[in-house]
Amino acid sequence: MTAAPSSLATRRSLLGALAAAAGLAPTGALALRRPGKPPLRDAALTDAAAAIPTPPALVRWLQKASFGYTQAEYTRLLSLGGSDDARWQAWVTEQLNPGAIGDSACDSRLASAAYLTLGKSLTQLWSDHHADTTNYYNRMLPVAESECATLLRATYSKRQLYEVLVDFWHDHFSVMGWDYNGGPVFVHYDRDVIRPNVLGNFRSFLEAVAKSTTMLYFLNNSSNTAGQPNENYARELFELHGLGAENYYGLLHQNQVPADPGNPAIPAGYCDDDVYEAARAFTGWTVKDGHWPYTSDNDGTYIYRSGDHDAGIKNVLGVHMYYNQPNELDGKQVLDAIASHPGCARFIARKLCRRFVVDEPSSTLVNTIANLFQSTWQASDQLRQVTQAILLSTEFKQSWGGKMKRPANAFVSALRGLGADFTPRPDNTTTYTPTEELLGRTQAAGHRLFYWPAPNGYPDRLQAWSSSGALGMTWRLLSRLPEVHQDDAYNGSKPLLIDVLGQTTAAVGTQATASAVVGYWCDRLLGPGFRPEPTYSTVVAFMQQNAAAAEALDLSKDEWHGGTTPDLKRHYTQQRLRTAVGLLMLSPDFLRR
Amino acid sequence: MNPFNRREFLKRGAAATVLAGSGVRLGFAAGEAATQNVLLIVFQRGACDGLSLLPPAAASPDRAAYEQNRATAANGGTRIPTSGTGALLTLPNTGGRWGLHPRASGLYNLYQSGHLAAVVAAGMPPPVTRSHFDAQKTMELGTPGQQSVGAGWLTRHLLSAGLPASVPVPAVSMGSITATSLLSSADAITMNSGADYRLDAAAWGWNSADNYGASVPTGFKGLVETLPQLWTGDSVLEAAGRDALAALAQLRPLDFDLYDPTNHPNGYQPAGGANYGSSSFGMQLRNVAQMIKANLGLNVATIDIGGWDTHQSQGNPANSYDNFGNQVQTLSEGLSAFYTDLAASATNYMTRVSVVVMTEFGRRVRENSSGGTDHGYGSVMLVLGGSVNGGQVYGNFLGLDQVNLFEYADVQVTTDYRRVLSEALIRRQGNPNIYYAFPGYAGYSPLGIFQGSDLPASDFDRIFANGFN
Repeated sequence: MTAAPSSLATRRSLLGALAAAAGLAPTGALALRRPGKPPLRDAALTDAAAAIPTPPALVRWLQKASFGYTQAEYTRLLSLGGSDDARWQAWVTEQLNPGAIGDSACDSRLASAAYLTLGKSLTQLWSDHHADTTNYYNRMLPVAESECATLLRATYSKRQLYEVLVDFWHDHFSVMGWDYNGGPVFVHYDRDVIRPNVLGNFRSFLEAVAKSTTMLYFLNNSSNTAGQPNENYARELFELHGLGAENYYGLLHQNQVPADPGNPAIPAGYCDDDVYEAARAFTGWTVKDGHWPYTSDNDGTYIYRSGDHDAGIKNVLGVHMYYNQPNELDGKQVLDAIASHPGCARFIARKLCRRFVVDEPSSTLVNTIANLFQSTWQASDQLRQVTQAILLSTEFKQSWGGKMKRPANAFVSALRGLGADFTPRPDNTTTYTPTEELLGRTQAAGHRLFYWPAPNGYPDRLQAWSSSGALGMTWRLLSRLPEVHQDDAYNGSKPLLIDVLGQTTAAVGTQATASAVVGYWCDRLLGPGFRPEPTYSTVVAFMQQNAAAAEALDLSKDEWHGGTTPDLKRHYTQQRLRTAVGLLMLSPDFLRR
Repeated sequence: MNPFNRREFLKRGAAATVLAGSGVRLGFAAGEAATQNVLLIVFQRGACDGLSLLPPAAASPDRAAYEQNRATAANGGTRIPTSGTGALLTLPNTGGRWGLHPRASGLYNLYQSGHLAAVVAAGMPPPVTRSHFDAQKTMELGTPGQQSVGAGWLTRHLLSAGLPASVPVPAVSMGSITATSLLSSADAITMNSGADYRLDAAAWGWNSADNYGASVPTGFKGLVETLPQLWTGDSVLEAAGRDALAALAQLRPLDFDLYDPTNHPNGYQPAGGANYGSSSFGMQLRNVAQMIKANLGLNVATIDIGGWDTHQSQGNPANSYDNFGNQVQTLSEGLSAFYTDLAASATNYMTRVSVVVMTEFGRRVRENSSGGTDHGYGSVMLVLGGSVNGGQVYGNFLGLDQVNLFEYADVQVTTDYRRVLSEALIRRQGNPNIYYAFPGYAGYSPLGIFQGSDLPASDFDRIFANGFN
């Protein structure tokens, strides 16, 4: 494929493969509408596959593997090689080594945000914030700042793939960030537990999470002791972190669970007995939080209490644990058994493929990735290898449109495409800041970061995010973006967060025809030279109103020309420009990936 | 008034929006929709401790066993006393055997007036799971033990209920993400609050015609009127977009805020002095009540109430710390306001509204070491409505002697939750296709909780009903 914007021929040649991989309903699916209503989600849709407007390959791949295409990143990508495949290989290789990517602009913005908590050690967070029982804002400042810093990095960091992976793994090891005990130490969870492991080893990741103060509280393992086990963490370790409900054998007893087809020495999955035994195995993994009788140990760090450990014989996933094994060995053997299990490999592989490729990835792809995952289960760069394999796969490259940007991700993608100047910060004043407004609107769309109350994390399927409520609220959030003011969201005397007008006039100058203006923003938001229909024509007509096609609009004014004999091309022109940009963001072409 | 089709509405987008702005109500004529019954499902997320919602009262043969397994308030336990501070409210018609949590006084009044019933030992049939997510999912999909079905039981109810093709808002899921019981339904509108669900954020001058009211410029089409033109394609995403546009348009004319003469002259005024309080649960109930009264053809609604996963520090109504009781109070106050609001209106809407309160499973009979309870099995369902045979406790409770407990640890289940929901579908919603709503369910017979006619339970023949779609 050439570097030029997609020719019609190029687009058509992709459509066969793309249609199959796009999220169109399989033939024979139920028409889930009542009799008499036209079907919306059934076999009839596969006939219309050719109608999905398709941007160039590099645009698609950026939309799927980063937090949204930008023109600048696309242009940079062109310089990385002589063909799209070569460019993509180079991009993936570069992105999988984030430490080597210079990120000075993002770093400067982080510094200007003047966050107070992001550099604090766990013990500092404990004494400065967890110990604060009178000032809730200060107590929760670590999670509030983590949320802001995460949005900032997602928007401005050049280490885009890394930030996407951080988002994925926060969903996988999801905690309610605003938990009363976990919130004050959330900086530690994000910085020291999640971020260092996203390109590393899954077994190590499991242990880091198991010993994290945040997770020890969230899933109650900190109070899991001998004789009075609390199974909450053990259950979610199996069901959500490690093997997945797909490998759950319910109330069968261990001797009834069938053997794994590939390895008869291990069971095919887990059952409730494994959960109870694992809960015993993790007794004594707790936090130094001054609880009785260890009242003088109170710094928020992890500690293993052999005195609280159930030392009896156990059996988990076919692994026999002797009486009174050395410290932590019981729990570590549970983690070993899970991380090396083929069910774990399939479970994690499927989730990663779902994030990058399509909601129901093919069993071929899942098995390929799972085999790699399992064969590298002790490699220090296991997840880097697995991520790379997914991003370089044919299925990744050929899939388009079967997924959509989830609300918080669409928000970030909009900030990126629009060249926003937005430094999110927590605020304790009565001012209604843009941060507060936009986080609130993201919450209304159901996707505020670190705000999902259950440990299973936010869903990752188009079905969840295209519901009327989620989609309506996402539209509401995106259409608001060009209207938000710095510092004080509704204060018209403050500059706008996003300078749509300035960027437009700098680009089109005096040639401010509707098509030039809308074309410019299509390049910025949707793809270079990409003019998807009916979006492009509709928004051009909206911008143009009663002007002639070749007529330059006067973008310098924002005046009323309404009434019964209006001149709509001059009616609130600047507001119409911002609304036109809003319409582009509300289009299916912006939201699909 | 002609019933209208959502697609036609989108074609007539601009004109219809102007109509809406001028006060013409878009929806069913009052007569048609007024006859439509409403089923509201309140799901207590996190596994509600049935033994604390409906504790064994003083005369119960299980009171001694209950006390053996639950520590006193003074010891930080969950045992609800039978007298003194925090005492349970003994329920009439139970021979003194059952009580209600003391902070459910509103529900107690509704029980006494015969509009509230409880079902003990209710829950899922085997295969049993103690995973929140599995249990909620399989219960809401209506397929015990199976998660592969891609649609919820309420979705299948709506498909088979014989509703007319064009109903403005047949189903609402209050919350941020669609309840699994309405999974894959093209009819469910999901919203956190009715007042939030609106496209009103673009620049004022070009957002929508209704910003201008009567002085809209001639030929004006704003973002609201233009957006449907972007969502005409046949991809799954675009089909979803059209649903969202239709939902937004149908709700746009309503003012979901409380009435205020200056700021919200068209706002909502609960009848009977009903006070929904400030919880999101209460507000969502109020929004549902408003939608019911707006005659949009609402057939089902779902609302969640969370906070029931009391693994530690469950609290006690005899103490100042009563975490579980906080949730009970929210539940009770909200449902009481909902009942009052709908029953005290000029039309007693509650005669056609039924509420079922359910949870994914109960909690262990024996407390854990953290002042809480871990996952269990059988729990309590509540049924509320003007057409309910209330003032009774239904179900067969096998007792708390360990030998009668499920796996020697949990309250047994003797009433399959599908039995209660099926009776609601048949006797209240007039839909006999319960074996379609709950594939694999067999042997239904009514408990007698709901008023209404019995119809022969059946499966739904989709091919004939659907033509050759």
